Amino acid sequence: MLKPIIALMKKDIKLLFKDKMAVFFTFIFPLIFAFFFGSIFSGGGGASKGMKIAVADLDQTTNSEYFVEQLQKADEFRVEILSESAARESVRKGKKVAFIILPEGFGEDYAGLFSGNPPELLVGLDPARKAEAGYLQGSLMKLGIGRFEKAFGDTEEMIQQLDDSIASVQNSDDIPEDWKALLKDYLPKMKDLTQKELDKQKASGEQSSGFSFGGEDGDNPMMPLKITQQEVSVQKSGPRNAFAITIPQGVIWAIMGCVIGFAVSLVQEKTLGTVNRLAVAPISRTQILAGKALGCFLAQALVVTLLFAIAYFILKVEFNLLKLLMAVAAVGVCFVGVMMFFASLAKTERSVAGLTNAFLVIMGMIGGAMIPLFVMPGWMQSISHISPVKWSILAIEGAIWRDFSYTEMLQPIAILLVVGLITFFLGTRMLKLEEA
Amino acid sequence: MIKLESISKRFDAVQAVDNLSFTIDRGEIFGLLGPNGAGKSTSIAIMCGLVSADSGKVELEGLTPTTIKARKKIGLIPQSIALYEELTALDNLNFFADLYNMDKELKDQRINWSLEFVNLQDRAKDTVKGFSGGMKRRLNLAASLLHDPDYIFMDEPTAGVDPQSRNKLFDSVLELKEFGKTIVYTTHYMEEAEKLCDRVAIVDQGKLMALDTVDGLIRAYGGESQVTVQTNQGLEQFESTNPAKDLVKVLQDSVQLEDVTVRRPDLERVFLNLTGRQLRD
Repeated sequence: MLKPIIALMKKDIKLLFKDKMAVFFTFIFPLIFAFFFGSIFSGGGGASKGMKIAVADLDQTTNSEYFVEQLQKADEFRVEILSESAARESVRKGKKVAFIILPEGFGEDYAGLFSGNPPELLVGLDPARKAEAGYLQGSLMKLGIGRFEKAFGDTEEMIQQLDDSIASVQNSDDIPEDWKALLKDYLPKMKDLTQKELDKQKASGEQSSGFSFGGEDGDNPMMPLKITQQEVSVQKSGPRNAFAITIPQGVIWAIMGCVIGFAVSLVQEKTLGTVNRLAVAPISRTQILAGKALGCFLAQALVVTLLFAIAYFILKVEFNLLKLLMAVAAVGVCFVGVMMFFASLAKTERSVAGLTNAFLVIMGMIGGAMIPLFVMPGWMQSISHISPVKWSILAIEGAIWRDFSYTEMLQPIAILLVVGLITFFLGTRMLKLEEA
Repeated sequence: MIKLESISKRFDAVQAVDNLSFTIDRGEIFGLLGPNGAGKSTSIAIMCGLVSADSGKVELEGLTPTTIKARKKIGLIPQSIALYEELTALDNLNFFADLYNMDKELKDQRINWSLEFVNLQDRAKDTVKGFSGGMKRRLNLAASLLHDPDYIFMDEPTAGVDPQSRNKLFDSVLELKEFGKTIVYTTHYMEEAEKLCDRVAIVDQGKLMALDTVDGLIRAYGGESQVTVQTNQGLEQFESTNPAKDLVKVLQDSVQLEDVTVRRPDLERVFLNLTGRQLRD
């Protein structure tokens, strides 16, 4: 019973691999498509320009604004200024890698070089992103050191800083008396020296340029920033990278290649006359059609396995394996049915190729195989409901980045199975297994 | 034995087979002779169970041809080269053998025998698309013999074949007869029918016009021999059932014979006399 079915399937797979054009459109083109567009959408080879962070400035002082400005200028970051809640939400939804909140009092602490606390930043990010956490902390510390440069880089500001510090020391209750006495002596002297330097600069017409301490930022023993880190549980709500979108599209292109190849091969059996050999062999019509269907299904499975192996190991696309298997099986059933249906309509290889190609390209266009569904206008998304390609992509994306529950997976899978079974039934009923 | 009883088949406006009845005995080479469109291929398709008749009955050893049991006895050599040209000869034979559920040992044995029978064992691993027309025809035959069928249906097997391959194919047909196979052979070449067939059914427009041995058909429908005699007294043409006897009469009275041609009746004449048309019209 099974031997002839397997023989038919093996023969068709062998024939598929003998046809260089079919191999290209089934295996190579979808890879090129997925890789090429994935790279484009990733922004030039997949690497993004800086870490996407959301910043909320609750302090709204000159110093806090200055710090935000430094963040924006830094190459390490791509900053978006948001409210606190929006910043937190953006990280939770995975739109930003981290949020940075500048709490009230940040500016005051930022200015206080010799007194008070280091300025505090509240940083929130996904605990899973350990590498980014280290990178983020290092980059922020580097910017924090800038507050010393800022203070010592401007003579007038330094005098102001010293005045503030003298006042602060005088009013402070928690500085030990020995230290207080030392600072009361030291800070006014330092202010006098600074004032003289400023006067000299003014007399010579120079712009206030400050002192140089001659050391590197890292030589400064004072703490540049106090970073309080918060863990944010990220709600996965979008594709991790562009390949998560282009791989499902590539899968659809590969399946289209399979469908056209097998529909043509079925019609070819008639035009070649090999169908007569099959028809006089001691096998049933059901076995012949099952062999064809199985061949088409297996070819689809092969190409999908290849694409997802590349997606997982090379392009770092993650997925839920069980959900993916469910999706791929449903897509396979659907397109085997479509293949059978179109093979039953045409009498020549040319007509079946043209017919199937036209149908699949249109379905692909409106179903998201070319332009991702979520960037389509609303009316187009409504039309896409009629396309099995849309439901295929949705089912596959459900297993990759849409994080569908099993219940949510049921809708696209059920639609695909219904389309597949109806078209398979119609196709097998209408298909005439006799020489064209 | 194959038995056809009042078989008819119509395709739209065309009556492809019209009330056809005959019996084919085991071990004989049975020819279906007629011009293109006479209904030969449709008759074979009905006998193989590929096409169902509108009316009438076909039996193959008492079985309906569409049954699995009957199909195991049928070997069909289609008019077209029914092979996968992208695959090797061996791949093709392996595939067709698998349709008959043979175990590996038997399959290998039958494939080797078939390749040897058509003299293609050296080309087994070559793709079919590189074969000449004659080689493809031979492989087409080999693919039909893998399961050792009792009844072999050959539908115009020499179409597009060079004379050398045609002669090789004739030898193969006669060899198969020696193995006890029953062969149904369609052709529109009277020479092939005359050379190979034990009995010939002449069909035209789906109808059976006559059925007998070649000699029987000629005797019954061929008419007289045409004799052309060139003597010193001129050219003389006449028809005769006994050309030798009539020639002696012409040569009396000191007539000197210069040339003589005797054209015996053939299946072409039979067809002409039966239908009023040439076989190749």
